[in-house]
Amino acid sequence: MSLIAKDAPGQQVLLMGNEAIARGAVEAGVKVCAAYPGNPSSEIIGSLAQVGEDLGIYVEWSVNEKVALEISAAASFAGLRGLTAMKQNGLNVASDFLLNLNLSGTKGGLVVVVCDDPSALSSSNEEDSRAYAKLGDLPLLEPSTFQEAKDMTKWAFELSEELGIPCMLRSVTRVSHARGNVKLGEIPKDVREPHFDTTHPIIPLPVAWTHRSLHDKLAKCRERFETSSFNIYQGPEKPELLVVTCGSSWLYVREAVHNLGLEDRVGVVKLGTTWPLPGDFLRRHLKRAARILFVEEVDPFLEENVKAFCAENGDELGMKTFLGKASGDMPDIGEMNPDIVTETLKRIFRVSYEPRPSEYAQNATQIALQHAPMRQLGFCAGCPHRATYWAVKNALAMDGRDGFVLGDIGCYTLGIAPAGFSQVKTFHAMGSGTGLANGFGQLERFGFHQPIIAVCGDSTFYHAAVPALINAQYNRADFLMLILDNSATSMTGFQPHPGTGRTAMGQEAPVVDIEGLCRALGAHVEAVDPFQVTETTHTIYRLLQKGKGLRVLVVRRECALVRGKREGKLFQVRVDQQRCIGIDCGCNRLCTRVFKCPGLVWDPETGKARVDEAICTGCGVCAEICPSSAIIKEVA
Amino acid sequence: MLLLEKDPLNVIITGVGGQGNVLASQILGQMLVQKGYVVTIGETYGASQRGGSVMSHLRISHKDQFSPLIPQGLCDLVVGLEPVEALRVLGPYGNPGVLMIVNTRPIHPIDVISGDAQYPDLEQVLKEIRSLSRRLWTVQATDMALEMGDPLFSNIIMLGALSATGILPLEREDLERILGELFPPERIPANLEAYDKGREAVQEYSP
Amino acid sequence: MAENRGLQALEANVIQKDLCAFCGACLSLCPYLRSWGGRWVKLHDCDLAEGRCYAYCPRTELDLDAIHSGLLGGPYEDLAMGPFRRVVMAQCTDPQVRQRAQTGGVVSALMSLALDAGWIDAAVLTRRGEDQLPEGYLVRKREEVLICAGSSYVAAPTLEALNRGPWNGDERIGVVAIPCQVQALAKMRLSALERKTPIDRIALIVGLFCTWALTYRPFMEFVRIRVQGVPIQKMDITPPPERLLKVHTHGDVWNIPLDEIRSFIPPTCGVCLDMTSEWADLSVGTVEGMEGWNTVVVRTERGEELFERAEKEGLLEIRQLPEANFQHLRDASLLKKRRALKALQERGELATGYLKLSQEAVQRILEDGTEAES
Repeated sequence: MSLIAKDAPGQQVLLMGNEAIARGAVEAGVKVCAAYPGNPSSEIIGSLAQVGEDLGIYVEWSVNEKVALEISAAASFAGLRGLTAMKQNGLNVASDFLLNLNLSGTKGGLVVVVCDDPSALSSSNEEDSRAYAKLGDLPLLEPSTFQEAKDMTKWAFELSEELGIPCMLRSVTRVSHARGNVKLGEIPKDVREPHFDTTHPIIPLPVAWTHRSLHDKLAKCRERFETSSFNIYQGPEKPELLVVTCGSSWLYVREAVHNLGLEDRVGVVKLGTTWPLPGDFLRRHLKRAARILFVEEVDPFLEENVKAFCAENGDELGMKTFLGKASGDMPDIGEMNPDIVTETLKRIFRVSYEPRPSEYAQNATQIALQHAPMRQLGFCAGCPHRATYWAVKNALAMDGRDGFVLGDIGCYTLGIAPAGFSQVKTFHAMGSGTGLANGFGQLERFGFHQPIIAVCGDSTFYHAAVPALINAQYNRADFLMLILDNSATSMTGFQPHPGTGRTAMGQEAPVVDIEGLCRALGAHVEAVDPFQVTETTHTIYRLLQKGKGLRVLVVRRECALVRGKREGKLFQVRVDQQRCIGIDCGCNRLCTRVFKCPGLVWDPETGKARVDEAICTGCGVCAEICPSSAIIKEVA
Repeated sequence: MLLLEKDPLNVIITGVGGQGNVLASQILGQMLVQKGYVVTIGETYGASQRGGSVMSHLRISHKDQFSPLIPQGLCDLVVGLEPVEALRVLGPYGNPGVLMIVNTRPIHPIDVISGDAQYPDLEQVLKEIRSLSRRLWTVQATDMALEMGDPLFSNIIMLGALSATGILPLEREDLERILGELFPPERIPANLEAYDKGREAVQEYSP
Repeated sequence: MAENRGLQALEANVIQKDLCAFCGACLSLCPYLRSWGGRWVKLHDCDLAEGRCYAYCPRTELDLDAIHSGLLGGPYEDLAMGPFRRVVMAQCTDPQVRQRAQTGGVVSALMSLALDAGWIDAAVLTRRGEDQLPEGYLVRKREEVLICAGSSYVAAPTLEALNRGPWNGDERIGVVAIPCQVQALAKMRLSALERKTPIDRIALIVGLFCTWALTYRPFMEFVRIRVQGVPIQKMDITPPPERLLKVHTHGDVWNIPLDEIRSFIPPTCGVCLDMTSEWADLSVGTVEGMEGWNTVVVRTERGEELFERAEKEGLLEIRQLPEANFQHLRDASLLKKRRALKALQERGELATGYLKLSQEAVQRILEDGTEAES
């Protein structure tokens, strides 16, 4: 039984931040949860999907974040509680609907969880989603701990329901993808009847009225925030420095203050409700000190809004010295950590702090640098994408017209790296590879002759590539589309999607046929297995050479990790040490030096390649590329 | 309970993506929460693909929720699922008092496979780790796991080894209960066997 | 650091300088280099310090003395045509072969005989594939030889077929090659690098006369436009004075003046020092002004043996080559050398040590050439 469904009020459990958010939704009696996966948010819906059936919650993986928000909103319109969760990029996708929904208002509690990824640990950008709360006049909560993640989520539903607008909960990687103690609350048993009141259309018009109403709701929200227990002050009555912080930064500040022994000199205002600002609460504490340091991720959101607040309340609060991103006291990009805060406080207070002998620190750093080779990210052993990019690389070389690949978002984005033979030359947002291909595909009229390949994964295809493909067919854009169908949303944890034949809750589902859909558009469609490297190479080459207009090649092979979980190795693979010619002319370590699958090891002592049995997944592709037929694959 | 006079006790589990690092830290954390500790775990990884360095920070306390990131120089114990990764964390997080439990099986980074970088001599790595730590236990966890038929058992073997040192209050019954929550019943005996094999592989810690 | 003598140097000194003759010597020796669609294709980078691709290339270095002494003993002396025993004219007695062939059918006759008589077990020839794309072609039966008859005027990576095989056991191999390929074969036979291709089993090299070979892709694009996209069946170049490229399509013949296709002659032909395939066993070309006859330069003992046998079996009719034709051949061959030397001089390639030949010999060619040109 998953912990997030455990009916054990008062029990302490270890939950991931995302599970705590999911548990909070369960404790709020959520009924409809929909999302598109995206790290670091994926486990929220993922964990809810596992308990949905037992708890009577409808959980779905939707094709994209906008659709997911619309699904949750429909539940709200019918009086039920709905939740959607997404990463920062997802909010951009959903924002068009969100910035009308704020005006139209909601009924049942609707919570929009956004998990930002400071330092872009698993993202293509570093975006501070809090700007959307301000842009859309929406309540914004930011948990610092796992307990808060749960409790705030529950409260967010109540707040949303009371105010009649969606409530945003902003998490960050260090909350979402961290674990900590959570004391469980009650799971409600009440049952609501969904009903849509047909006498009251839910629309954003007339804007003059709905916008006014939204501002009134936000004012009411501010009142609620004034008394929230998520906003706290810790420190002396009159500190020398007041730190204003939120989210996981609060934990770093606490620890830095403690480690430096500054408990009597530094006061900390920790805000859990960050938009609208709780003015009275802030006024009380801002009076304590003339120097204020802001510690937050990533943009100076609190910093700028509190500064504006201080300016408005100048008579009462007096002159302040602000330290933060604008002053250069805190870094203005990237995530926070205890060390950054420690350094800043050390500088401000001119105190010294040495957690370990400096000699050791120097020595350890130097030894680690010298002996520990860096680990680049790469495709897993047996990943179909490696084989695909190998074929792409060969086909483009054979074609010889300086063709290139427009990338997209997924595991295969790593085609930019040596692991993918550096074939991918652009990547931006979901579906953008196809969109860009549309543009390049119109440039021939200006003398552009480089062949264009767009790649997208199966999940990305459903998410955002379809409209771009329709556009390509309609406007006769000239490019080759490779749909890398590995039958899973592998980047984010193997979530099912419309092509997998099952739903988030594990039920069978109709398969939305990629080839069929593309054929219906009128595109030329073929399919290959990337493990048939030669055939794939020649198919790509042929489609580059002979085609015109939109050509679609579905490159289909199940994700090695998904397959590996279900069954063992496809082949037993070994290197015949006699046949392997290593660095000799005629091979020069093609399999290790160029193909670089982590399942292979180069043994400098024997001058031969061998298979690392702990890593090899037995795809057998290396056996196909070995020029000496030294790599032997036998059916496992 | 030896080291838990220090509060928080900071543990890093480190390895390479795909080794089961996250699962090991989750299981360890749950075992300690069942014992009444306040635990915070921070996971540090790049994208979710294999091949990159992965690190879990565990903060174990009697009273407080600490941040998910261990401050520099304050790690008390490193569980290294891969030798070079164990050495790597000592750069930012090590100190002369740190204890090390290390799986000795190397995983070659892509740059080593391709020949752009070299994997250091294993004995040299272990020697450096010894010189930078209070004590080093080595475990042939991957080899033992391969003997059991699946290299993925190595993380549970390492947990077994950790329990045998007595540094943390880990009990087999707690593990059994947690495995019951995580895995289908048929997978539990093999994991317990892995844990027991790990326990046999090292000796108790006496400072 | 030692000088690179591998793919990196091949790229820098040959490919990037547009000197690749597309002979095929470096292709399919390894997984890195292939011919594709009439182009030299590098699939991946290779950082080996020394490689066969570089060693075999006729445009990396050319040491004529070393080749001569290595293959035949003694120094390189006949600066006009290389080593030879006699020069005659010949034609195949089988009119059917003559019809299929470019001129006298001597090459087809010799290769058929060599295969028939067990002289060789397999032959590496050149055929025109789809879209007139020339490619190396492996034959093991005499009937297959005629598939490859006739010239294609387009540079063909014939030697790739030699590198690629597949070869059975210890098959003896014959090759029909143009001069750059014959030079590459000579370098292969003399290379100190480990042999992984069946170079030592080459039992016969029939060389062709060649003044240039066109670059496939741009040439074919040009022709396709000229014939308005109609599928091409066959192409021929008529002898002087007409000198026309005749392109046969279904039911039509399109005449293209030779001057129009000269721009598709790659720069590498301009630096080629060999018109007559000097390191072959036999070299075969046309006879100026005599349709249906081949000039045959008999160069080696085994060349002589085969040629005599062909005559004895009545496969070839052999005649004396008129002295004027012989002189003309020498002059033309020397002229090509002289032009190549000048081109190399202009490109600065003589200074890089590409050609290993005494200064005296170089001077002699340059001077003799003056005479020949007029």
